[in-house]
Amino acid sequence: MAEKHKPAPMVDEVSDFEILEMAVRELAIEKGLFSAEDHRIWTEYVHSLSPAPAARLVAKAWLDPEFKKLAVTDGIKASLEVGVDWINDPPTGFGTPSDYCHLRVLEDTPKLKHVVVCTLCSCYPRPILGQSPEWYRTPNYRRRLVRWPREVLAEFGLVLPDDVEIRVADSNQKTRYMVLPVRPEGTEGWTEDQLAEIVTRDCMIGVAVPKPGVTTNIPKPVHPALRPVQHDH
Amino acid sequence: MADEDTMTGEHGAVTVEENVAPIPLLEEIRERGRVWEELCEEYGVDNPDPPWKINLEGTYIALDLCRAFPWLERRNAEDVVTEARYADLPAPERQVMALAHSMIQRGLVSERDLQRKMKELEERLNRV
Repeated sequence: MAEKHKPAPMVDEVSDFEILEMAVRELAIEKGLFSAEDHRIWTEYVHSLSPAPAARLVAKAWLDPEFKKLAVTDGIKASLEVGVDWINDPPTGFGTPSDYCHLRVLEDTPKLKHVVVCTLCSCYPRPILGQSPEWYRTPNYRRRLVRWPREVLAEFGLVLPDDVEIRVADSNQKTRYMVLPVRPEGTEGWTEDQLAEIVTRDCMIGVAVPKPGVTTNIPKPVHPALRPVQHDH
Repeated sequence: MADEDTMTGEHGAVTVEENVAPIPLLEEIRERGRVWEELCEEYGVDNPDPPWKINLEGTYIALDLCRAFPWLERRNAEDVVTEARYADLPAPERQVMALAHSMIQRGLVSERDLQRKMKELEERLNRV
C-alpha cells in the first residue's frame, strides 16, 4: 500500500533576479553572442563538477605512496585515476576556457601548510574541485590571505603553531593548485571511501585540515573590502 | 609561492575603467527583488543556491568562449561594480546584477532591451 507522499517544499515564486538571469542569457543568444547549444553544453559540464574527485585523489595518495608521488609530480596524470581528464572532459576537448591544464598538488607536512588563493580573480581547479565557494572569490579573502595568511587561516578556525610554515599558492590561468593535507591521526585502517569523506573542499583549498568526524565545510561569512578595487597591474 | 608557475601568465594587464553609475532598471530590481535566502525562509527550502545559479555559470563561460566578455575582464568588472553598487546583496544575486550592469555599460545589451525582455519573461513565466 502506497504511503502518503508529502512533496518536498519548493520556492513557488520567480524572483526578479531569476528573471534578470534569464533575460541576460536570452538577449545574449538573440544577439548572437553565443548559441543556446553552447550555453546548454557548458552549463551541463559545470553542473557535473564537484570536489569528490579531488577528495578521492587525496585519499588514494594517503593509502598509496606511489600514487602520492605521481600526484605531486604530475597532477594531471593523477587526476585521470580519479576520473578527471583535464583535457578531454570539457566540451572544448582541449581544456576549459578558463581552466588550463596544469594542476599542481601541494603536499602538506606537519611543519608546512599550503593554502590556495587567486589574487587576480578567482582561478580555481574546477575540473577536480567543482565550483569555488563565494568567500574564495571575494577581494577581501584574496587581498588579505597573501598579506596575513596566519591570521586569515585563524579566522577559518585553523590556528597553526608558529613553527608551522605557511605557503600561499597564487593560482593563475596557467596553473591551478590543490592541497594534499596531512592524513590525520585516528584514521588508521580506514578505507579509501572512509578517508575521502573527511577530505572536504576547504581542506583542499587549505583553509581547514581533515578531522575524523568532520565531513562538511563550515559556512564562512563573506566580508566586503573597504577600499575600492584597482586593477592597475 | 615564488616560482615560474605562479606568474601572471596570459592574464596580462587589465585597465578597463568601470562605469559604476547607477542604472535605473537595476536599481529598481535591487529595491524590490527578493533574494534566494529570503525565499528559502518563506517556503521552507534549504537549498543553499538558487537553481538559476548554474545557468549564470554557463553564461560566464559562453561569454568567455565567444570573447564577447572575456573571463578576467568580467571578473574584474564584477569586483569593481559589486563593491561600488551591489555589495549589500548576497551571491549570486549580486553577481547577476554586476554582470547585467557591465554588459549594459559595454553595449552588449541595452537597458531598454533588458527591460523589454524581463517584462516578456515575467509574463511567460507567470502565465499559469
